[in-house]
Order: sequence, then structure tokens, then C-alpha cells
Amino acid sequence: MECFSLLRSDVPALIDHLGDFGEVIAPHGKGDVSYSFEAVQDSCDVVLDYNRTLLPLKKMFLPPVEKLMGFSLKNESYEQVDVAITSRVFFGVHSYEMQSILRLDHSMLTGSAESNYFKRRQSSRFVGISFEPDEFHFSESVGIVIEEMEGFDLFLNEVDGDFQLYVLTENGQEMLNGFDKINITEPEIVEGRHFKKKIRYHYNRLPRVFQYAYHSEVWADVASRCVGCGACTLTCPTCFCFDVQDEVEVTAEDGIRQRSWDSCMLSTFAEVAGGENFREKTINRTRHRLYRKFKYITDEEGLPWCVGCGRCTAFCPAGISMPDIVNELIQEDEKAQYHRTVRV
Amino acid sequence: MKPQVAFFDFTSCEGCQLNKLNFENDLLDILKHVDIVEFREAMDDKADHYDIAFIEGSITSPSCVERIHDIRRRSDVLVALGSCAVNGGVNAMKNLHPIDEVRETVYGEDKYLFATLPAMAVSSVVKVDYEVRGCPMTQQDFLKLLIALVLGKQPPKYGSPVCVECKLKENECLYNRGMVCLGPITRGGCDAVCPSFGQFCTGCRGILDNPNIDGMLEVMTSHGISLDEAKKRMLLYNSNEVQL
Ligand code: SF4
Ligand code: SF4
Ligand code: SF4
Ligand code: SF4
Repeated sequence: MECFSLLRSDVPALIDHLGDFGEVIAPHGKGDVSYSFEAVQDSCDVVLDYNRTLLPLKKMFLPPVEKLMGFSLKNESYEQVDVAITSRVFFGVHSYEMQSILRLDHSMLTGSAESNYFKRRQSSRFVGISFEPDEFHFSESVGIVIEEMEGFDLFLNEVDGDFQLYVLTENGQEMLNGFDKINITEPEIVEGRHFKKKIRYHYNRLPRVFQYAYHSEVWADVASRCVGCGACTLTCPTCFCFDVQDEVEVTAEDGIRQRSWDSCMLSTFAEVAGGENFREKTINRTRHRLYRKFKYITDEEGLPWCVGCGRCTAFCPAGISMPDIVNELIQEDEKAQYHRTVRV
Repeated sequence: MKPQVAFFDFTSCEGCQLNKLNFENDLLDILKHVDIVEFREAMDDKADHYDIAFIEGSITSPSCVERIHDIRRRSDVLVALGSCAVNGGVNAMKNLHPIDEVRETVYGEDKYLFATLPAMAVSSVVKVDYEVRGCPMTQQDFLKLLIALVLGKQPPKYGSPVCVECKLKENECLYNRGMVCLGPITRGGCDAVCPSFGQFCTGCRGILDNPNIDGMLEVMTSHGISLDEAKKRMLLYNSNEVQL
């Protein structure tokens, strides 16, 4: 694995250079205190230090709202939208975000691949960047360190304000051809970047905790604070649920079918024909959300389906914290175990 | 034959009616599907029977009650338009005060000349088949309903909060800008138009079914407004829906 040094002031030049390999998408400032992934217009606008974007990078592969087909009622015909395959370079991506894309790949491409996702996902290159964890990141607790480089072609590790650029794949190698602002160097271990938020157990112990947590009192407490806005799931990089709806234009002749992200935290999510709702109460939904992250899929895949990005917590208006809930469940589980042991 | 539709207004600012008259581009398309037989702002015909009656405004007096019953009797389908008609809207704020006090404030000495009732949703008096929410309702929303009725389909139902549309547009949440927003418990369908322009949601489309009111008050007060102010904000459009 090759490693080069790169001055912070030369990063815009690198971004411009990467433009030869496709449209470059990178984090930009948004609003007063937020960030979002946008196509780069001016490489100087790209933000290198950011905590997390509002929507995950997922939006580039599975758009929040997407037209699937147009139809005509008059001619009884339809035309599917053809998603073009374009080369794109995703720059400035954090390790947990990359891991979420790999998990999403698994969700969308295993079995019969979701064709629109597949087309958008093809021809993607990824350039990672290290980050300073804030009070919400906890990815280390789910097995993803800051410098996790799986999935990236290139990775920028910040060292004393400048960067070390790791070349990880042939694609990465190719992307540096003709770029002369880098010098070969020895990789350094960066000290002093710590996760402030942690889950107390190793993630491989969590499915067992969840096995006994179904009837925990923690759920009722969370449900009493949750206002059901769906922000946690709509901003989660590994959630993939969507809804499909048809809309007819005012001519009553033509229409479109579109798909938009849905959320299991919404009370209507599990409503079915006849008005039944199989997760009617907030408590059912809150519990379901965490089981989707730490039990159901984890049992099958051996990995937590949460990447510790902290979005669900940072964007929850009620301040409900995912790692705090897990830690409460752990504590409750320890108490229960203690009582079981003492009785014996 | 094209469905015969009529529009009626009760206690309201008539903003919803005016919004319909702004249809310009779509009006000709609409008239391909329906015959407008009564439209207070635009014409003065009368008919014995309506396929669809659109009602704007809330029911606030005995004469309103009589009139809405009469319209209901002559209509196959009745649709409430705008927040006044759907749940009483801002008018319903008067229901928070003793009715005598309200009459006195509005009519002074002449209060006995004007019979008044608490401001009610149309559905509190007669059966309402469909609703178009919002203050004012939007053209887009109205057209969606009209097209669905013309095609014999279920009109769209909005069961998700404003936050959903807000998140899908990747807006920065107004709570992060030091504002307090009713989006989490307000029925969506407006494409989060207010937060998208930097204005907090005031709840004009009504509160969702089974809202967590205590949780919402906690969210609002923990973001810097008093409990009293939080309740007032919540009641602005929803005095008939929220018990505080
Ligand atoms: S559950 Fe929360 S912390 Fe985990 S990946 Fe989703 S948004 Fe991020
Ligand atoms: S973001 Fe918070 S309040 Fe909103 S649904 Fe999720 S847990 Fe509930
Ligand atoms: S600005 Fe309002 S509507 Fe938008 S996400 Fe925040 S609370 Fe919800
Ligand atoms: S954002 Fe809120 S106040 Fe604004 S139109 Fe939508 S429901 Fe009404």
C-alpha cells in the first residue's frame, strides 16, 4: 500500500484532478451548521472537516424521491425510466459512510439486484477522509475505526493539519496518474482522535442482549419521549425502506409512478388493507428500529446494521440517543443476569 | 355527463377560494372534467343537486348549521377545503374562551343580535367524505383530490408528519437554527413548504392521529420556549384537536 504526503492547500487541486474520472461529489456546508453531499462546482467550496452530512451518501444511489416510470391512461402504456450509468467520484467520505454503502450493497444487490441502484452504484470511485469524532459518533463500537479503508480507492488521513494519502486500489493508482503535488512518505499512526460516545459491549455481544430485551422497560421510556417524526430513520445510511405511489396529472391522462423513502418510525408504515396496523404503538416501532440494527439482520449477516454515524441521535428533536438506549439495555441485562446468578 | 360541482363558503377568510381562482393554467383542464354550477366568488347559479360540494370555512352559527345540512342533502360527495373547514382552524381559538366573553369582545353592546356557536369543523355537523388540508389549502393538493374523484380513485391520504418531506428535501432542521417547529406532529402533504423557506411550521394542516403531545411539548420547551408559548403555538390551528 503506497502512501503519499499531501498539503491541505493542495487538496482543491486534487479534487480538480479527480474531475477527469467523473463527476466529483463531496461534502459542502449547508444552512447554518450542517453539511450535505453535493456535486462540486468549485473545489475550494468542498469542506474537509465536517461531522456528518444531513442525508447519507445513500441518496446518490437510492434518491429520496425517484420517478420509476411514466404512464398514459389514455393509451394504456407505460415507459420505464432508464437510469444512465455515469462515472462518479465520491470525495471526502468518512469510514462509517463507506461501510454503510457496503451494507446497502448487500441489502440491494443480494438475490435479484435492484436495477436502478445497481446502475447508479456502478462506476463509482471513493476517496475517504479521516474525521474528528464528535459527541454523537460511535462507529468504533460497531467495529468501524476512523481509518477503516475498506471500500475506498484512496484515503486521506489527516496528520497535523495536512494529509497522508493512501492508495488502496488500481483505480486509486490510476486516479493519481499525472498528479504531481504528492510525495512518497512513510505511513504514520495518528494518536489522539477518540470516540466520545461508546456502546459498553463489543458488538458481537449485542444480539444476545437483544435476545432478552424484547420486553424491556426501556422501550416505554423511549416511546414516551419519541414524537414519531421519522428523522432517525430517514437520515440513517443503512435504512432502505421505500414507498411507491402513482400520481396522475391534472389532464387525467398521464401520470408517473414514483418511489420515496419511507420510515418504520411512522405510524402509517405498518398499516395494511382493512386498516389493520401491525406496529400500531410508538413502543412497537422504537423497538423494531433497534432490532433492525442489532438483531434481525445481524443474526443473518454477523454484522451490526448500524454504522455508528450518530445521525439518528444528532437529528432527533427529542434527543433520543441510539447508543444510550443500547447501554440501558445492557445495564438492564446485567441486572437480570446478576439476579439470576444470585438466586442459583 | 360531467360531474356537477359547487363551492360554498362559511366562516373563513376566503383565502382558499381565492387560491382556486388562481388556477389559470389548469382551469381549462379542470373544466374538461367537471361543470362548476355554483361558485360564490365567481358566479351566482343555483342547482338542486351536486355531485361534489366543496365546503370552505367553519361552522360558527345556527344559520351555518342549517345551510350546511341543506347542502349536504343536495350533495353526493362533500369535501371540506382548508383548515377552517377541516378542523375549525384559527377560528377555533375562540373556543378556548367563554362564548359570552367572545361575543362581548366582537360585538360589544350588540352581542344579543348575533347568535354564535363554538367554531366547528364541518365534520362536526355533517358527514364529510374527503378533506383538503392547509391554511390556505394549496392548488396542487386540491387538484390531486379532484383528479382522484374524477377518476374514481382514492384521493391521497397524508398520515406522515411534515418532517418527512422536510428530511427528504435535505433541509437543515430549524431546531438546529434555534427555532421551534411543529413539523414532527403536523400532518404533511405540503412538501414542507414553510421550513424549506426558513419559516417554522405552525401546524396549519392539523395534528397527526395519536400524537405524543407531552413529548412534543417537552421538545418545544427544551428548545427554549416557555410551556405557555409552546401550548399557544400548538393550539393556533388545532384548538379543536388538542386537549391541553
Ligand atoms: S442507526 Fe443511527 S447511528 Fe446507526 S447507522 Fe443509522 S443513523 Fe447512524
Ligand atoms: S427522530 Fe427521535 S422523535 Fe423522531 S421518530 Fe426518531 S426517535 Fe422518535
Ligand atoms: S424543520 Fe421542522 S419540519 Fe423540518 S425536520 Fe425540523 S422539525 Fe421537522
Ligand atoms: S409547513 Fe406546517 S404551517 Fe407550513 S404549510 Fe406545511 S403544515 Fe402548514
